[in-house]
Amino acid sequence: MASNLREKQTAALKRMLNFNAPQTKANVAEPQWKILVYDRFGQDIISPLLTVKELRDLGVTLHLNLHTDRDPIPDVPAIYFVLPTDDNIQRICRDFQNGLYESYYLNFISAISRQKLEDIASAAVQSGTVQQVSKVVDQYLNFISLEDDLFCLRHQDREPISYYAINRGDVKDSEMEATMDIIVDSLFSVFVTLGTVPIIRCPRGNAAEMVAEKLDKKLRENLRDSRNSQFASEAAPGQFSFQRPMLVLLDRNIDLATMMHHTWTYQALIHDVLDYRLNRVEIEEVLDEAAHSPSRKPRTKKKAYDMGHRDQFWLTQKGSPFPTVAEAVQEALDAYRVEEDEVKKLKSAMGLEGTEDDAAIGMLSDTTARLTSAVSSLPELLEKKRLIDMHTNIATALLDHIKHRKLDNYFEMEERMMSKSTLSQSLMDIITDPEAGTPEDKARLFIIALICGPPMSEAEIDQYCTTLQASNCDLAAVQYVRRWKSYSKITATPSMYTGGGVSSTGMFSNLLSKGSSFVMEGVKNLVVKRHNLPTTRIIDALMEQKSVQEVDDFRYFDPKLLRAESGNVPRSRAPFQEAFVFVVGGGNYIEYQNLMDYARSRAPVSPKKIVYGCSDLVNATQFLRQLSQLGTEM
Amino acid sequence: MADVTNAFKATVKAVKSRLKSQGNAAGDSVTNILPTAKHRGEFETKAREVTKSITKLRDFLLQHRKDYVNAGSLLSGHLSSMSDAERDQLDNDAQNIIKTCRETIHRFRQEAQKQKVHPQVKEHRAIVIFVIDAYLKAVCRIYSEQKAVRVKRVVDKKKISRLEPDKKRSHVARLQTGHKAEEAAGVAKKDTRATGEKASRPQTVDLPPEKPSYEDTDTDISPEEAQMFEQENKALYDEMNSMVEDVRQIEGKVVEIAQLQEIFTEKVLEQDKQIDMISTTVVGASINVKDANEEIREAIKKKAEFRVWILFFLVVCSFSLLFLDWYNG
Repeated sequence: MASNLREKQTAALKRMLNFNAPQTKANVAEPQWKILVYDRFGQDIISPLLTVKELRDLGVTLHLNLHTDRDPIPDVPAIYFVLPTDDNIQRICRDFQNGLYESYYLNFISAISRQKLEDIASAAVQSGTVQQVSKVVDQYLNFISLEDDLFCLRHQDREPISYYAINRGDVKDSEMEATMDIIVDSLFSVFVTLGTVPIIRCPRGNAAEMVAEKLDKKLRENLRDSRNSQFASEAAPGQFSFQRPMLVLLDRNIDLATMMHHTWTYQALIHDVLDYRLNRVEIEEVLDEAAHSPSRKPRTKKKAYDMGHRDQFWLTQKGSPFPTVAEAVQEALDAYRVEEDEVKKLKSAMGLEGTEDDAAIGMLSDTTARLTSAVSSLPELLEKKRLIDMHTNIATALLDHIKHRKLDNYFEMEERMMSKSTLSQSLMDIITDPEAGTPEDKARLFIIALICGPPMSEAEIDQYCTTLQASNCDLAAVQYVRRWKSYSKITATPSMYTGGGVSSTGMFSNLLSKGSSFVMEGVKNLVVKRHNLPTTRIIDALMEQKSVQEVDDFRYFDPKLLRAESGNVPRSRAPFQEAFVFVVGGGNYIEYQNLMDYARSRAPVSPKKIVYGCSDLVNATQFLRQLSQLGTEM
Repeated sequence: MADVTNAFKATVKAVKSRLKSQGNAAGDSVTNILPTAKHRGEFETKAREVTKSITKLRDFLLQHRKDYVNAGSLLSGHLSSMSDAERDQLDNDAQNIIKTCRETIHRFRQEAQKQKVHPQVKEHRAIVIFVIDAYLKAVCRIYSEQKAVRVKRVVDKKKISRLEPDKKRSHVARLQTGHKAEEAAGVAKKDTRATGEKASRPQTVDLPPEKPSYEDTDTDISPEEAQMFEQENKALYDEMNSMVEDVRQIEGKVVEIAQLQEIFTEKVLEQDKQIDMISTTVVGASINVKDANEEIREAIKKKAEFRVWILFFLVVCSFSLLFLDWYNG
């Protein structure tokens, strides 16, 4: 497809902010100011896509939350971007009565039901503001796109669709239905925004299957209903793709180990170690380092950084292992210094020759040109410097954490376990080592050992448990995983991780010889060998139409077929070029990175486009907490 | 994206009919077919007026852009639909309008700040003014682009027309209009005028020596002298040519300098407020430092006095001790 999901969503938002009128191509359009009112979900959707400055350029003067107290501004149109929940509808009706704005453009993130539409209509009639309601639109944007090929469903209010909610022991049918409905609605919005109808594949017997059935039904109904169909206008020229994409729905239970895994790539590390939400990193920076005595804690300040998609460095480096990132930052810094010196030299050259007049005018031939280019390139240089500073700070913070918790050790051990090669240090050593990492890290390591390490007898497991408890670990999660392992038939999971492994170069790598500002002594320079996580292997098998045992009994849905149940026979044997992977119950940047690497590695042979989505992005700490909750409720 | 406005309107009708059938006289003023007039506040009307005037300016510029720029061939100077005088007039008009708009926005901003309204409304108004300002800047950019294109074309025309001696008269005229239009530095102006005159001279000087070669009767000038004249002329001509090269380079540089100056003025204007603030702070700081000096002087004096008193007290004590000692013993 020409444009990807994120761009389509941005375009839809911009169109909405232009009062749902098509945007004219005038050189400089007359500005029309408006007020944007959103709720929590709207905020999550808009914040990774549009900055405040971009909103201003589009003419949005104020952006307010729906449930705050808003002052009446009676002569400005207001654009609402909310989910059609009961609370929101009531608040909108109250706004009508208070007569807050001049005209109202109501945009609902997902489709609004007939009943609620009547509620709004009656409120409008009663307050006499019917003429002021200019437009009511269903936007079908009920998802959050974080990157060009990554989306998730919820950020705030993610409890109803988290792993915990789906796998709880005491979940009621009605709650399960509600959760499934939310997920199906969001997936439906994704495909409406894209404008295609996918072919759906899913494994049997878990939440993913439920979601697949419901989604299939919903798509089918919408296609049949020719009056209201969302996919009617598929004949846009140039967008005709010869092949439909494939949607693979997976359940989190396929692969719990990846959620616990310690990682070594840049973006996944940030998500794991620092506070990373909706493309924004928050770190605590230490101020005035030189002037504090050991007794006083250094003053820290919280700083937030936005990782934008225009940051070239970020785009190239976000999947690289950490030492590569450190080197790259160093190189970028050197390149910047060279450019800065050139500009400074120009300054001194001009200063010397500026005193002589007509005779020297001939010598100024290229200095003026150089000066012009230097001045015009100055803003770019400043921007580059800011980005380099930001990455330096982030990388330093990461490095501190890594050194403090010895994350490189964990990573190495886990990789070794997942690839079934021999361990350099025994599991017991690491767990009893008081310096190596927080109790959570140890719990994570042990869970991975349980899932994919060599099989351990019950006595051994109990022994480990006592040692873990001695190091203040919470064992509820471990108990849950034990039970899960015995229930699930996926004892074949360990074999899914083959092909991996690490090789570590010497501790004092050539980083130090380059005079790097990153003192990476004591941290191993681990080189990650490429390997495929279970998710990637499933996708590979499905896209290439290979016949692998675990994939063979996946169900097959095609909403465009006339017959309701087409059975489980795939229609076409051609390999798919485009796939959407959706994991029900929580996703992770590690899986995302792995899928991207896979797609890139297959690019020269057969170009593939893979988009990864999940119900919400959880890092290991949060997932561990959910497992503990499940374990205590067992 | 589904527009359900029609469904909404249908629902509204249904609700209204339902209410009517229930006997509720909820019709009141909603029975009018025409939409109610939108009441707009004072701020809003003024803001919209300013925006409209800027839009008019933009349309005016775009309308005359084609004529102004005259994207025809460089040589078809006679076919231009706008004479230079008209272009200057256009420039002046546009500049006046821009100035008045700027002043209006400034006054507007001050008025808005003085008014007492809710904080959200205040923020909204501040941003509205900011948006109008940005719009004005964008339109100004159109105007200055146009002007830059015009200047560039004149310079190009000059360069090319210099190679065509048969257009020397219009060439000279264009030179003069050319360097009137440029905001060139004084040096360049002098040079161009000088070269203009010198350029016309060798061409007029070229003519007379040609004549004697045809007129045998008028032998005032001997052949040797004619040859000398010719050599002189050639030398002068070469000299002029080289100077012309230099001048052309200088013109190019001057245009670049003009561009640079534009960038600099923009940046300086941005930093204007900050510089004012810094200067007031510095003045305040220097006053504080002066006061501090005074205080320190006072402190030194008082310390000296205090020391004197201490010494005096010690001396008195020691004398009294001695006295007591003498008294007792």
